[in-house]
Amino acid sequence: MTTDAKPRRPGDWTAHAVMIPLAFISVFPVWWMLVTSLRPLAEIYSPLPWPAAMTLENYSYATGVIPVWTMLANTMIFSIISTALQLLTAVLAAYGFARWRFFGDRVLFALVAMTWLVPFQVVMIPNYVLIAQMGLVDTLTALVLPNMASAFAILLLVQAMRSFPVEVIDAAHMDGASHWRILWRILVPNLRAPLAALSILLFISAWNEYFWPLLLTRSEDKTVIQIGIQMFLTEEGSQWGPLMAVSTLACLPVLVIYLVLQRQVIDSFVKAGLR
Amino acid sequence: MTALATSSIPRRKAWLRRQPLAPWLYLAPALVLLVIWIYGPLAYAFWLSFHEWNMLPTAPRRYVGLLNYERLIRLPDMKAALWNTGIYLIGLLPLTVILPVAIAILTNELSGRWRDLYRALIFVPLIIAPVAAAAVWRWMLNVDFGIVNMALRGMGLSAVDFLKDGDTAIWTIIWITGWKLIGFSTLVISASLSNINPALIEAARMDGGTEWQITRRIRLPLLSPTIFLLVLLTILLGAQWSFAYIHVLTQGGPLGSTSNVYYLLWQFGFGSLAAGWASAAGMLLFVGFGVVAAGLIWLMNRASFHDN
Repeated sequence: MTTDAKPRRPGDWTAHAVMIPLAFISVFPVWWMLVTSLRPLAEIYSPLPWPAAMTLENYSYATGVIPVWTMLANTMIFSIISTALQLLTAVLAAYGFARWRFFGDRVLFALVAMTWLVPFQVVMIPNYVLIAQMGLVDTLTALVLPNMASAFAILLLVQAMRSFPVEVIDAAHMDGASHWRILWRILVPNLRAPLAALSILLFISAWNEYFWPLLLTRSEDKTVIQIGIQMFLTEEGSQWGPLMAVSTLACLPVLVIYLVLQRQVIDSFVKAGLR
Repeated sequence: MTALATSSIPRRKAWLRRQPLAPWLYLAPALVLLVIWIYGPLAYAFWLSFHEWNMLPTAPRRYVGLLNYERLIRLPDMKAALWNTGIYLIGLLPLTVILPVAIAILTNELSGRWRDLYRALIFVPLIIAPVAAAAVWRWMLNVDFGIVNMALRGMGLSAVDFLKDGDTAIWTIIWITGWKLIGFSTLVISASLSNINPALIEAARMDGGTEWQITRRIRLPLLSPTIFLLVLLTILLGAQWSFAYIHVLTQGGPLGSTSNVYYLLWQFGFGSLAAGWASAAGMLLFVGFGVVAAGLIWLMNRASFHDN
């Protein structure tokens, strides 16, 4: 990087003057959450921007009140399973849309694309009734069931597959490869980058899922960590230390992914936004 | 490449036509799921909207015709919620569109390490869980010990109970919703800005165009599809994005000042267990936003014909 050695343009100063406050506002609340969670009770109201004495007592208190570790494990299981299933159904459906022209394909595609117009609040009652009829209220299975197909994932992969060179696929077909084989041996390995980006996106949104678990939750040990935060929030005269400890734990896995795969995470969200 | 592609088309079509069922097999899992969990429920909600039902499995679903809709339209809560939904949208647009466009253009020239660092930092709010974001903002805005009010007092101002004061609560929710999105929107616009052909800007500079002229005549028109997309997303999803914060932080209060149509729907459905009402409200909402979306997309197709 030689940019730092170059003489600065006046535009750079304007840019810094705009970006420093924005970056501060973006990150400070997260920092404050972490700092508060590490403070001993006596110091909880301190305005110091770092903890003078660090302690994990908020964490041990929170894990004593609600089953935080079970909730985190549940969230992890739910997020991994629903991400994997959404990827699987999307890969198959995208291949169907990208490879064939058939009667009604445009209508079907439009129906998939339009699902994001249907607000969750409109379908939540029928969904809940369906889960209740299946006798699955208060189970992890019920959390996964409506999250097994993602219209967004399908649209994204159709685009990726349509831009894949047709000649390669045709050549494989000449060699006698079946559709199934072409999909898994040629397309999927070659679409690793968009698939990875997509799975990050799906995982993060599954991890942050809140309302569907809220509808289904009856017992603490069968729900996700977001509900754990909410349990601490609803108590009046909040215990800020433990609340921030649970919130930090709930954000930690996503933040770790972000630290490791920062560029890919940003790119996948921004590209998704551009589409 | 092209020669190969054209020569292979007839053959390709032949082997694709041989299996008329194949695409359906690949599409089936996803389509079945979308029908079970989205379109089926949508149809069921439509049916429920003409009925009265308290959501108990044993209770009867009684046909009431258009009564649910009539009641809804006359409900004073509904008018307030619609009004608030409008305020949410208007309040969010500066944070999700106007500021990000300004920031992206002002920081366009930034490069290298700084750019990467800023990008990484301003993106953080988006990936934070909404409930955790709600928790930390509630803590920072606490009237007695929150850091924001401490700072206000330190500057000699009086403390504000942001979430419990009917005048500030809705703006606070808008701020938290916007806080999560401002960095993301900025990055989306920056990405689209960097797609603009630099030769265009160079040429305009050679002709003596000022930065402002370049922005107004070249950058903004070329950004217009992206800007439109963000406006569309904000209008269609803005009220939904705020929903989590309303639910966790104010429950629609104080005195209904932060409630919006989605929150009202939630209260009908799972607060008062009035499935018919909630479904009727949901259908109105679905149709309403559908019409708005169609209108906006039509406008977008008509308005933007700029060549990069």
